[in-house]
Amino acid sequence: MDPDLVLVLRRATVAYDRDPVVEGVDGEVAAGQSVALIGPNGAGKSTLIRAVLGLVPLTGGTIQALGRSPQAARRQVAYVPQADILDAEFPVSALQVVLMGRYPRVGWVRRPGAADRQVAARALAEVGLAERASARFGTLSGGQRQRVLLARAIAQEPRLLLLDEPFNGVDALSQDLLLAALARLRAGGAAVVMATHDLGLAHLACDEVCLLNRHQIGFGPIGTTLTPELLRATYGGQALQLRGDGVIVARP
Amino acid sequence: MGRRRVGLVAVCLAALVVAGCSASGGGAGGDRTGAGGGLRVVATSTQVADLAANVGGDRVQVTSLLKPGIDPHDYEPSPADIDAIAHADLVLENGVGLEAWLGDTVDSSGFDGPVVDTSQGVRLRMAGGAADPHIWQDPRNAERMAATIERGLAAAEPSAATTFQANLAAYTRQLQALDSEVQRQIDSLANKKLVTNHDAFGYYVDRYGLQLVGSVIPSFDTSAELSGRDIRDLVAEIKATRVKAILSETSLPPRTAETIGREAGVKVVTGEDALYGDTLGPRGSDGDTYLKMIRHNTRTIVRNLSGS
Amino acid sequence: MNLFEPFTIPYMQRALVEVLVLGALAGAVGVLVVLRRLAFVGDALTHTVFPGVVMAHLLGRSLLLGALAFGVLTAVLLTAVGRHRRVGDDAALAILLTSFFSLGVVLISRTRGFTADLTVFLFGRVLAVDRTDLVQTLTVAAVAAIVLAALHKELVLRAFDPEATAAMGYRTGTLDLALNLLIALVVVAAVEAVGTVLVIALIVVPAAAARLLADRVGAMTALACLLGAAGGWLGLAVSYEASVDHGVRLAAGATIVVVLVGLFLLAAAVAPLRRRRAAAGGHP
Repeated sequence: MDPDLVLVLRRATVAYDRDPVVEGVDGEVAAGQSVALIGPNGAGKSTLIRAVLGLVPLTGGTIQALGRSPQAARRQVAYVPQADILDAEFPVSALQVVLMGRYPRVGWVRRPGAADRQVAARALAEVGLAERASARFGTLSGGQRQRVLLARAIAQEPRLLLLDEPFNGVDALSQDLLLAALARLRAGGAAVVMATHDLGLAHLACDEVCLLNRHQIGFGPIGTTLTPELLRATYGGQALQLRGDGVIVARP
Repeated sequence: MGRRRVGLVAVCLAALVVAGCSASGGGAGGDRTGAGGGLRVVATSTQVADLAANVGGDRVQVTSLLKPGIDPHDYEPSPADIDAIAHADLVLENGVGLEAWLGDTVDSSGFDGPVVDTSQGVRLRMAGGAADPHIWQDPRNAERMAATIERGLAAAEPSAATTFQANLAAYTRQLQALDSEVQRQIDSLANKKLVTNHDAFGYYVDRYGLQLVGSVIPSFDTSAELSGRDIRDLVAEIKATRVKAILSETSLPPRTAETIGREAGVKVVTGEDALYGDTLGPRGSDGDTYLKMIRHNTRTIVRNLSGS
Repeated sequence: MNLFEPFTIPYMQRALVEVLVLGALAGAVGVLVVLRRLAFVGDALTHTVFPGVVMAHLLGRSLLLGALAFGVLTAVLLTAVGRHRRVGDDAALAILLTSFFSLGVVLISRTRGFTADLTVFLFGRVLAVDRTDLVQTLTVAAVAAIVLAALHKELVLRAFDPEATAAMGYRTGTLDLALNLLIALVVVAAVEAVGTVLVIALIVVPAAAARLLADRVGAMTALACLLGAAGGWLGLAVSYEASVDHGVRLAAGATIVVVLVGLFLLAAAVAPLRRRRAAAGGHP
């Protein structure tokens, strides 16, 4: 396999009890590239992400991450979930959350060391939250929490990064900081796959797009693939709306 | 870090407030009978305590662990009890498995003196594969228990041996008089069929020729539950043999007995007039000594079983 | 009220060591139970261990082994049930809990003269703890403490973000089983002292109180251990003083629980003050 390819999907299909949730996903992501997963609710974006993480088994096709099976590649793959599903009352600081990203490397029984703390602190600085390191995670705003979770993923020093709706309900400043951090990650050679509803941000953050509606409708460069016809095919006739600044946003 | 500090302060404050002034109050708990001074005797049950007080007189200081009205089968000793044992000269128990909790308690207290089993020499009644522990219900057994107690007291305090012997002789005469009296009264009954609350009266029934038709709780232990069939059988038995009354006990809840009484259409005797089964009554009641207890039980039985 | 005098007596000393160790251990494990909102599962475990204790007694074997065997069995069962549990499916847990508990009661009621033992299993008899019991408790506690320390950071991660835990490659099922086994170990260690009914209070109350006062898992754990141990100490002292100086019977195990609840209320009263102080002087 081309050593530059971080993620390869060949007719990947996931089904629960013979009912396909997402099928026929076919595409490649090279180092430094970024793909947006776009589709309506229930299209199978989250399921596909879980399949790449090795959390759900494929019922057809293959997925290769860094030349290995998803389970084998986990050490080099990081996941950023949506921040609002986490318990806001949990007694952890922002830095401690980021430090959690180091646990797989630290291994069992041992505690994170000074080197790990440095990596974590740097990751937090990457997303512009260095001075909130000791704030309790739940006291941060939604956007700040999302940034902390990205910092946690950065601290894992991944080669492939998977994000689930990272810009949902996030303030403009946090969006910018997230985009900047993602750009730096890509510059460092990591590949990024993000599920998103925000077509405008997809344009800013990604160079490729995968259109999904339970099956793949298109996978290719964003300029040629994110077309109105393919969008309409993806969203099944759901309304597309122009925002004030002229950017198309799909209504989820 | 301020949060943690406040928490610690809270805990320390609580401890300080509670620690306050240490009032080292004297006196252990426990029921005392007999005059003060002399041999410190700890008895488990109220019956054994009463016997010991009578045999020991004013040469002993008797403490009873169980209090009147407390179920001896299921008892958790308190720190006061353990302390009492720790400071005792002699421990007396009923034996026959009545006080399953005593062994551990004695171990805990660190007491290494004599523990006297007052059931020595008593002929035990067996039922259902187990020995009936309610040996004191037969005054002749009480005589043997008192004699065993006297031996124990004399061994612990030889200088008072003659006093103990004299006390024992006097008390034995009272027990023998009681025995004859009860026999006379029971003999006067035409209908000697009895239903009680639990199997506590086996020895009494055997001694005086009563007929135990059944018990509401068919066990020496007060915790067993009656099955549906048991209830049916007992009700049928009561009706068939024309039992006049169900006699409940002062220390047990009468509900099951009352239910069966209603079913069988017979009177249920509960409350103050009921029988003393597992324990003596509280001070001032009709059964606060062994002799009074047996007399009260006899009166109750005679009253309820005679007449048409 | 004397907090030190009763403990010059040997049996009180043993009881004290027992409740200090148990209080601290239960507090530490309780932090994870409270953070994961597993109090009901923890309670279920205390009920399901009960028949194991009964069976061990009936067979004349060590209570500890019986409780341990059942503790492991039910930890496995509960983990399995928990994973397939949908929201509101506490019914499955409740069925498991009550059926096991009833089994224990049925077994007990078949034999005569069992009430004393039943009471001991349910409520403990901390004043009758002998050196063998103490050694057993300390051994079980040591094992549990070692496992807890080894897995602590992963258990906290699992409590905070189960999705990320799985994504990072950890088997959440195994971690859940580990925590359930830890809870079972605490119950087993506590059976003789406070009994299966009261041990859930030992697990949940100190941790819940610590939760109100601490902003970090580390501080919360330390506080929970402190409160658990303090509750044991104060409870024993109060129960002793009531019995010996005032002739009032206060069962030792239950008194400890009442003291713990008192400490919780104290924490609840102090917590809002703390928040106001933080708001006034700290970050916005």
